[in-house]
Amino acid sequence: MTTTRERDLARPPLWRDVRVLRVLGQVGAVLVVFLIFRWLVGNLLTNLSRLGISTSFDFLFGPTNFQIPYASEFNPRAEVWQATLVGVKNTFLAGFFGIILASVVGLIVGVSRLSENWLVSRIATVYVEFFRNIPPLVVIIFFGAAVFTNGPFPLLRESWELNWFGTDNAFLLINNDRWGVPGFAGTGELGLFWLIVGIGVVVGAVVWRWRTKAFDATGQPHHRVLWFLGVVVAFFVVGYLATGQPFEMSWPALSENRRRIDGGFEVNWGFMSVTIALGLYTASHIGEILRGSILAVHTGQSEAANALALTAFQRYRFVVLPQAMRIALPPTINQYLNLVKNTSLGTAVGFADLTAFTKTSIGNGRPAFQSILIMMAIYLSFSLVISLILNILNRRLQLVTR
Amino acid sequence: MKSIKLLAVFTALMLVFAACTSDDSGDATTTEADGGGDGGTDTTEGDDVDLTQTDTLADVRAAGQIVCGVNDGLPGFGVVDADGNYDGFDVDFCRVVAAGVLGDADAVEYRPLTAEARFTALQAGEIDLLIRNTTWTATRDGQEGANFLFTTFYDGQGMMVPASTGFTTLEDLADANICVLSGTTTELNLTSVFNARGIPFNPVVFEDNSQLRPAYEEGQCEGWTSDASQLAAFKSAIEGEGGDDQFIMAEIISKEPLGPVVADGDTNWAQAVEWSVMATVQAWEFGLDSSNIGSYSGDNPNILNFVGSDNFDPGLGLAPDFAVQVVEQVGNYKEIFDRHIPAIGLQLEGSPNNIWTEGGLMYVPPYR
Amino acid sequence: MTTLIEPETTSAPPIHERNAWEWIKHNLFPNWWSGLVTIVLLPILLYMAYRALRFFFVTGQWEAVEVNLALFMQGTFPRDEQWRLIAQILTFALAFGIGAGTASASARDRAEDASLAHERGSLTDTLKRMWSMIAFIVLLLVFATTHDPGSPISPFLVVFGAVLAGYVGYQARRLPRRLRNLGWLLTLVLLVVGFQVVSGFDSGGWLPLGIILGSAAYSVVPVERFESRWLRLLVRLAAAAVVVLVIRAVYGAIDSTGIGWDEWSGLHLTLLVSAIAIVLAFPLGLLLALARRSTLPALRYMSTVYIEVIRGVPLITLLFMGQFIIGFMVPAGTELSDVTRAIVAMTAFAAAYIAEIVRGGLQALPSGQTEAGQALGLAPPTIMRRIVLPQALRAVIPAMVGQFISLFKDSSLLFIIGIVEFLGVRRIIHAQEAFRGVGIAETLVFVALGYWAFAFAMSRESQRLERRLRVSR
Repeated sequence: MTTTRERDLARPPLWRDVRVLRVLGQVGAVLVVFLIFRWLVGNLLTNLSRLGISTSFDFLFGPTNFQIPYASEFNPRAEVWQATLVGVKNTFLAGFFGIILASVVGLIVGVSRLSENWLVSRIATVYVEFFRNIPPLVVIIFFGAAVFTNGPFPLLRESWELNWFGTDNAFLLINNDRWGVPGFAGTGELGLFWLIVGIGVVVGAVVWRWRTKAFDATGQPHHRVLWFLGVVVAFFVVGYLATGQPFEMSWPALSENRRRIDGGFEVNWGFMSVTIALGLYTASHIGEILRGSILAVHTGQSEAANALALTAFQRYRFVVLPQAMRIALPPTINQYLNLVKNTSLGTAVGFADLTAFTKTSIGNGRPAFQSILIMMAIYLSFSLVISLILNILNRRLQLVTR
Repeated sequence: MKSIKLLAVFTALMLVFAACTSDDSGDATTTEADGGGDGGTDTTEGDDVDLTQTDTLADVRAAGQIVCGVNDGLPGFGVVDADGNYDGFDVDFCRVVAAGVLGDADAVEYRPLTAEARFTALQAGEIDLLIRNTTWTATRDGQEGANFLFTTFYDGQGMMVPASTGFTTLEDLADANICVLSGTTTELNLTSVFNARGIPFNPVVFEDNSQLRPAYEEGQCEGWTSDASQLAAFKSAIEGEGGDDQFIMAEIISKEPLGPVVADGDTNWAQAVEWSVMATVQAWEFGLDSSNIGSYSGDNPNILNFVGSDNFDPGLGLAPDFAVQVVEQVGNYKEIFDRHIPAIGLQLEGSPNNIWTEGGLMYVPPYR
Repeated sequence: MTTLIEPETTSAPPIHERNAWEWIKHNLFPNWWSGLVTIVLLPILLYMAYRALRFFFVTGQWEAVEVNLALFMQGTFPRDEQWRLIAQILTFALAFGIGAGTASASARDRAEDASLAHERGSLTDTLKRMWSMIAFIVLLLVFATTHDPGSPISPFLVVFGAVLAGYVGYQARRLPRRLRNLGWLLTLVLLVVGFQVVSGFDSGGWLPLGIILGSAAYSVVPVERFESRWLRLLVRLAAAAVVVLVIRAVYGAIDSTGIGWDEWSGLHLTLLVSAIAIVLAFPLGLLLALARRSTLPALRYMSTVYIEVIRGVPLITLLFMGQFIIGFMVPAGTELSDVTRAIVAMTAFAAAYIAEIVRGGLQALPSGQTEAGQALGLAPPTIMRRIVLPQALRAVIPAMVGQFISLFKDSSLLFIIGIVEFLGVRRIIHAQEAFRGVGIAETLVFVALGYWAFAFAMSRESQRLERRLRVSR
């Protein structure tokens, strides 16, 4: 065919052919990066072996040999990987509750900054400008010291007990070290019970879909959240009764020697410092994001809502916030990620998170390189999982509202 | 999804690394070096040869100063005053080595180090000498590639409680919060002693004493465990500032020999450091101090050797008069001790740090 | 209404001067629930203000800060070399003055070109933006007077000198237009010189000035009379080479060592370490951003993996890497100090974030710009260099300032790895005999104020830049 000939003619010499150059360029770049990497790792392994430092991960299966703070259930003879899991758990909890706190406070701050009440908006502004410009580490240290260590709360042995109305059961033990809150203690067929609850969640989801479809078809109010919760609660109650009350409330109480909290669930001061400090710090960023997003919603939307005689609450809840959320979500995800990463600063107030554990572990002779790699991998997977979940959420939000 | 891919890539990298390292770990270390660093094999071997012959002494002389890893937040041992000058018992021994090796006690560059990073700094060659209240243990001597020299301070881990509590034994602290600094042997000792005796406890771990002390004083911790010298320092500080009376339990739960540390594999340097440090004790034994060593006019041949008056040189790589430089510029052991340690509430008399003739443990080989 | 208002009869709406009572009613009690909030908040606020003031003026034991003020500022920096720090402050002040003057003048130039009215930023505006920093400096001076540090030069004199240097530098705005680039060049040169006043003009230190002045020579040398492209290039390169060689020779001749960053500490280290990291991270971040936007999949993948891994881990893990690992990643015998390794870690960290910022700037640029370049038949690298990058980089300046603020705040993490930066000075102070348990809260508040003052002023500046860029676009 003639086209072949034409193509041959049009083809530039090899050294000027874009396709060849592209391949060469990539191979070159990969090679350079590979060589640098190999040089670094090669040096590292050479140096470590010269110094007789282990590069194996066997240390994970040796005994930990030190007690993890506020983890009385942890046995120091347990293997290092089990201790790492305790750190992971603490990091996760601090990140989880920090995110919730930051979202709630951030919402309040963001809306307050736009309040028509001069005092409220000023306080919110001062709040934002204050927290945003201080290193989170300083905020954490401040909370640890000013709120707990030197704060207004009593000692553990003199804890304030807030009793559940009309009973002797304390639902809150307050002191400067660890707070007790009610928890649950399993007594029987917990597995079966959770299975029933799990079925309840599935049924609830089905009901949710049914209500959504009904709404799409008829335009009747769907109340799908209420429906969903109702179904789950019903299954919960039925399951609880059917399996013969598999757990009971466990109330926190000071132990005999007033040095422990028995029963309930225990939150220590390091955890609270980190969670509250990071919650408040991140809230200042989230508040600004929300404010910007609310302002970015076209004024016409608010005016339309006003024209429909919606109340201020309705205007926010049904018109402004849903649209603002869409704009706010991606930067907010970033803030959540930052918050989770910042929990690593808890080591400054003795919070036994992953970083603190790794640091202590290295200080007690475990190989630094492997410990740090493991720590990085865990943080990375935290970050990736969060961004995955929230990206899915983001996509849904964008799709649904078109 | 992008993040899943990324996670996969990272996991794969981790696995590859884990595979290629743990395979080799059991073998002789040399194969590992070859396996890991093919690209740099040539240089590697060259370096190895160099390193077995590392000559820190010559390097230090060429640089004109020693880099000394210290603590900058340990009362009595390593502190920094308002003008930014390092001071303290450990710091003085850095100066002793500088005076002995270089003839100038001020030729020291101080590197503040965290407890966790001190051995890394030593291994990486970032510091020539580590004098940072570092306990001599077998693991550190073995795994961390550290070479522990003459112990300058015999310490032990103790437990302090407010005197008003009336606690006298560790058993009184069952379930209690105990304040401890992170990244030290203190944490390990605490755990092992309490575990061996079956006493449950809760450690409260702090980065530094500026956070630990308030926690203890406010009663968040019922006990404070640390080296006895530190407890003494804070006992006197708390009481001196009008705080509650403190009680240090008689029971010492560990041996803590503290002294200078150098990196493994450089005997000449280790000897130079060790003899410089021991010169302070030897001078004390001879009754020489900073005021009279320069003008020694007796005829004790041992002392004449020691002060290098007839150019006696045992071949340690030190100047004949190094002892004079050390003692004149810094002082003998007792002078150094008296300068820093009584101020934190510990006395020389009756302690293991006294000279052997007085029943202590300070005993040095003869200089001849 | 049927009455038509004649245009002539209209007048400006009456300006209603609100009196205090109306202001309160309108702003504090607009409706019942808002009023309730005011009533609840006001006493709480007053009480907190009372407690704060009492702490500042009555109960606070500020001696720990006063005595150790020099320690907070310069840490363990050798006191007999203090003149270097003072020289640095003055040089930087001059550099900032010249930079600000030149920036203001070129804004005026642009306005003139577009025949728009140019409103010169007033001094009060600048003071308003910088009030937090000014307040902090005043606080420092107050502390300095209550305790005599025995410094040879009064802090007042230094502040006065810095203000004077800044003012003198600001007069660069009077320079004729063709010297505008000279102003920028001078700023850069003074920044480098200011840095090297402390770190020393040793023979190896020619590199930064060599790059700056060399590229300046490359671009200003007159080559119009040469016909051949190659000849022009040759002349330009020769000019650059001559300048670089001269600078090398000058540095070789001076060859005086100063105080390297290993020995810096306190606020001085905090400020400079973040600046160094961001300057070093910028080229790296730029490359990463270009690689991530590249059409070559291998480059894109590698850059994406780097950026996402670094952004997915906390800075502290990288600093741990720096503390425990990087020292072993170089051939044995190469010694990297702790500050150097921290800077490496912070640079690697900041590069990933800068890459994302630059990528944002590249993406935000309308594709019409690239297409216009293609229509003119420009080669892709030329389009990138001449059209895309200048616009994209200009647009991301505020975000870069934001990144700098965040790095500045993050430098407090160096405290955890034992480097004595601004926050770490506290550890030193509370080991001193006099302050073992005294003033712990006060030093923390002081440090927090210090960070806040700088970060707040910079964020104000970034907001202003953002506004200005939005307007000028």
